[in-house]
Amino acid sequence: MRKGRFLFALFLIAVAAYAVYSASAWRFKAALFPLSVGIPLIILAATQLLLDLFGKAETAGGPAVDLEFTADVSPDVARRRVINIFLWIAGFILMVFLLGFPVAVPLFMLCYLGLQSGAGWWQSIGLTAAAWGFFYGVFQRLVHLQFEDGLLQSWLGL
Amino acid sequence: MFDALIEGLFLVLQWKAFSLMMVGMGLGFVVGLLPGIGGAATLALMLPFIFKMAPVEAFAFLLGMHSVAATTGDITSILFGVPGEGLSAALVVDGHPMAKRGEAGRALGAALMSSLVGALIGAATLAISIPIVRPLVLTFGSPELFMLSVVGIACITSLSGLGARSQIRGFAMGLFGLLLSAIGQERQSGSLRFDMGMMYLWDGLDLIPVIVGIFAIPEIVDLAVRGTAIAGERPKEDLQRGVLEGIKDTFRHFWLVVRCSAVGVFVGIMPGAGGGVAQWMAYAHAVQSAKDAKEREGFGKGDIRGVLGPGAANNSKEGGDLIPTIAFGVPGSAPMAILLGAFMIMGLIPGPDMLTKHLAVTYSMVWTLVIANIITVILSLAVLNQLAKVTYIRGGLIIPFVLFLVFVGSYTANGQIADLMVTFFFGLLGYFMVLFGWPRPPLVLGFVLGKLIETYLFISVSRYGFSWLTHPIVIVLIVLTGFVIAYPFIQERRQRPGRSADA
Repeated sequence: MRKGRFLFALFLIAVAAYAVYSASAWRFKAALFPLSVGIPLIILAATQLLLDLFGKAETAGGPAVDLEFTADVSPDVARRRVINIFLWIAGFILMVFLLGFPVAVPLFMLCYLGLQSGAGWWQSIGLTAAAWGFFYGVFQRLVHLQFEDGLLQSWLGL
Repeated sequence: MFDALIEGLFLVLQWKAFSLMMVGMGLGFVVGLLPGIGGAATLALMLPFIFKMAPVEAFAFLLGMHSVAATTGDITSILFGVPGEGLSAALVVDGHPMAKRGEAGRALGAALMSSLVGALIGAATLAISIPIVRPLVLTFGSPELFMLSVVGIACITSLSGLGARSQIRGFAMGLFGLLLSAIGQERQSGSLRFDMGMMYLWDGLDLIPVIVGIFAIPEIVDLAVRGTAIAGERPKEDLQRGVLEGIKDTFRHFWLVVRCSAVGVFVGIMPGAGGGVAQWMAYAHAVQSAKDAKEREGFGKGDIRGVLGPGAANNSKEGGDLIPTIAFGVPGSAPMAILLGAFMIMGLIPGPDMLTKHLAVTYSMVWTLVIANIITVILSLAVLNQLAKVTYIRGGLIIPFVLFLVFVGSYTANGQIADLMVTFFFGLLGYFMVLFGWPRPPLVLGFVLGKLIETYLFISVSRYGFSWLTHPIVIVLIVLTGFVIAYPFIQERRQRPGRSADA
């Protein structure tokens, strides 16, 4: 946790330093806000970083009012599952990029349900059909959202 | 005035206006449940349909839809941890942990009932305050509005946990949110900032992909890691009893609900602040109302007060929002700006006429808010049993469905694949923030308020130099900010003797 907090503080310093460096070359109007925000951000993040490096372990108070991840799963399993779900999410985005939403949604649903969730193939097909019906009915027919074609459709001229 | 009030009620109850309100409510119900597609987008989509309607019918249709979307957005936030409305994220913080604990029914009951109380308070305030509120709004210039936003961020940083280091992290995240809001074309000079050569960033980051990513993705990751249903392996909640308990909770903490409703109305009245700010400020108020650290401990882990506060503010702000829109033609938020368009389409000019010649129409809006909210809560309570069962379905079956909703919702922001990338990036960021104990709420509020704060700061400095810092209301707000920041330290200090006594 402490190491992660330290790395995150370092990330904030890098972002804020980039912001201040870029803003220093701009006109007053454009630079006023990023400078007024970026400089204190560097100071606060650096303070946090130094406290994490040299300060005593944090005891006061309690955790932030925010989500806390489950501790019921062993760290190794948790790490593996985290990487797995992020890969699925990235895969879904890739499918949308290549095939567009109307094809990617049912394909992703079927793949995830069949390969990852452990649902039987008939159940997967049924749920995929329901999800696609919902997608088509609500987003395409009711709300009339326009979805871009995927890269493959554009290449193939479909 | 009383005659106009009664006339307004009868106008709404006419069969055509009432039917259109019901149609609008049906649409609002569905839209509210879908992540990303907010009330503003739906209002804009429905605007062309009002051309042939009478003013009362048009406002019954639009306001019915808008107020219901605000309420049902809470349902998605609680059940899935995905903000149904881009701005109803504050309810995720305590509402979703309750669902995980097998108390979805209670959380939903509390959210709906507090929403109803909030809506009634907002509508009542709208009804009685239009003549009174004018001087208040006119007193608030850019410097005051700037400081008010700073107070909002200070309130949220107090949620970062007690102790100096938590406060540092909270403030840092608030500033980080402000910095993110600076991406894109700067309004005063037109300069491009931090666009990294990408045209997508010229308009800045959109709210929906950022908020949905930062809140929804970590919840989905947690669900995937646990490998269980949202409510875990817990025995099924007695839903009827849970919902009833939630309703009772609203009245157990009635004073808190009233105060948070007042926060919502106040934020609604202030131009530009909007619903997200109202929810977070109400949430911060609920947390700060805790008497000691022990009482505060439950927040973030499923404290019912963390549901009641934002729930009440979410709907009371609708009444507040309408006040400047009707009285001055100054819309307080994006949906109200669209509603102003409806005024123009109907040939109505906001301002004194709405308080004299068209007073009955104005009151018909008040009644629409009241009636639409009452019907929504009754209907929602009727279907809650079915909705809450979702939390007992195996996570593996829920995840792909929620994921596709999240990404379609994000895509609605600009209709570009880049929206999905932004959601993914902020999902990763949100994950690491939770993992390393950096609070997300201050970042979100900073981001929501950033553009406004920058505009107010720029106008204040351009117009007054630094003398705006000596404006009386500004000084009061600076002191208030100081107090809000110092309050957790005071609380911590107060506890110390008790702790040592216990030891």
